[in-house]
Amino acid sequence: MLVEVLSSVFNLQIVFFIIVGVFTGICIGALPGLTATMGVALVLPLTFGMDAIPGILLLIGVYVGAIYGGSISAILLRTPGTPAAAATILDGYEFSKRGESGRALGISTVSSFVGGVVSVIALWLISPQLAKLALRFSAPEFFLLAIFGLSIIASISGNSLSKGVLCGALGITLSFIGIDSITGYPRFVFNNINLLSGMSFIPVMIGLFAMSQAFTTIETIFTPDQVTQKISKVWPSKSDWKVIMRQGPISGVIGTIIGIIPGAGAEIGAFVSYGQAKKTSRHPELFGTGIPEGIAAPEAGNNGVTGGALIPMLTMGVPGDAVAAILIGALTVQGLQPGPLLFTEHTTLVYSIFLGMFIANVTMLVLGLSSLKLFVKVLSVPKGILTPMIFILCVVGSYAINTNFFDVGVMLFFGIVGYFMQKADVSVSPAVLGLILGPMAESNFRRALLMSEGSYSIFFSSPIAWIFLLLTIVTLVGPTIGEMARKKRQS
Amino acid sequence: MKKANFVVSGIFAAFALAIIIIAKGYPPSNHGVPGPGMFPIIIAVLILVSALVLFIKTLKMPVTSDTKIDLKSRSILNVYISMGGLILYTALLPTIGFVTSTSVMLSLYIKWFSHRPWWKTILIAVLFTLGIYLLFGTVLNVPMRFGIIF
Repeated sequence: MLVEVLSSVFNLQIVFFIIVGVFTGICIGALPGLTATMGVALVLPLTFGMDAIPGILLLIGVYVGAIYGGSISAILLRTPGTPAAAATILDGYEFSKRGESGRALGISTVSSFVGGVVSVIALWLISPQLAKLALRFSAPEFFLLAIFGLSIIASISGNSLSKGVLCGALGITLSFIGIDSITGYPRFVFNNINLLSGMSFIPVMIGLFAMSQAFTTIETIFTPDQVTQKISKVWPSKSDWKVIMRQGPISGVIGTIIGIIPGAGAEIGAFVSYGQAKKTSRHPELFGTGIPEGIAAPEAGNNGVTGGALIPMLTMGVPGDAVAAILIGALTVQGLQPGPLLFTEHTTLVYSIFLGMFIANVTMLVLGLSSLKLFVKVLSVPKGILTPMIFILCVVGSYAINTNFFDVGVMLFFGIVGYFMQKADVSVSPAVLGLILGPMAESNFRRALLMSEGSYSIFFSSPIAWIFLLLTIVTLVGPTIGEMARKKRQS
Repeated sequence: MKKANFVVSGIFAAFALAIIIIAKGYPPSNHGVPGPGMFPIIIAVLILVSALVLFIKTLKMPVTSDTKIDLKSRSILNVYISMGGLILYTALLPTIGFVTSTSVMLSLYIKWFSHRPWWKTILIAVLFTLGIYLLFGTVLNVPMRFGIIF
């Protein structure tokens, strides 16, 4: 198997796609307004005609590159290229103010690499074990796992629990459209033939993440972003290396753990890592003044999320974040179903993803240290030209899935809905995760009741089911109890 | 934000009620196994409860913590115009054809957003359109020849 994996990844075509993916990802991430999710959603249609391994690795390259690329504009422009780089601004921009932007970008590049590699190691070590455990799951456990995933998504998304639940439930509702998989009864199709086979979730994702983001960019389309910094001395100094090697692995582990939690993305990974570094530092007062730890922690943390997010996605079909949700779409298009069976039936593919992700991180390091000046130039690409091009990519990408104009309409509709949801401070990620976890919850719920001939006791029949039940209760009730305790202490 | 929260809770509540009304007409449960309407109704009830919680929380929200949402400024109007343009473009795309409609649409947007000379604008638009046409139509085998023109 090892030979198969090595030969499937170490060939010119695959390495080329990884390099292209990482390069594209860094450019997308560097541009304020273009997020990692948007980048992966835009590149996704290009993989439809490709084999599974190059297609998935191209997308993973974009993901890894974009999460890192966000730090470039965070450091130079004080504007995070992606939300994941928001925490990097705190110290990163202070370096630029002192004229040390090259040093800051060097620290960011190496820290992102360290965080990314830690997450790949975790992915490699944890995933097969988790998949083995998941093989013992049957319908009730999968139902409760989906409910647990949905409960986490609701509780951590945005500022309001109720808005998170509303958005997640909207996603689940969309998954009802089409012929019911158990009874064959058409639901919510309104005599529209295009809806019979269900709502294709890739146009929904392109709309919610790419098109809505492009609409948001129009608000500032006439405001130019100027880069005046000159980049020099990118290679970290000895003392910076020490900081990176001390902080990077810790933040990488934190990022990985956060990535594993469904719905918690790179932004949370970066802020939690930054908070941990500040809390454990001997000089917490220096954070925010431009110290290497202030860049190393969030950057290793957000890239740590990349591998972590793939762990539940590959082993159980539960996306760790919005990008992992799109990767589920990419695997489904290739006729592959993420879950424990992927590890037994498509072992080469799974290990090729692991190895390819490691290569993507190495590529990111090499490109980051060697071509930063080029990526900084990308910041000068006028938004006025780029945004209309993104419109076209969204339209063509949605059309290409089924060569159907109905999907283009769906994409545009959700682009507009997503824009207004952002305006109302409703995070759109739960909708996409609900769209994926909804059918998993429903089909397993009904299958479990079929198995038990209608008895609900089946949901309490195994220790794993109890664990998921308790976790769900803790996730939903925990924040409320914590809030009540905090209020009591204050009063 | 208060107004927006009321609107969000109202829209979702109406949405949930519509789901319940439609799903009630679906075949019932059979021997304890839920029918196709049961799960949609459960989710719709969850939406109703969440919409109600959001409504009550917003009612209790202090006036000082309320923030205004910009929906009428010049920059937001630009977004609405772009949305309108895209709706028109996607409606005309299948009839006119990809290359013609996309080149025209792209030229208009680039001219509006970046104020470049017309010849540069049209050159960028046509080259990008042809690039996408060749990439998807030739390399990825997506049927891109449709419409009455091209």
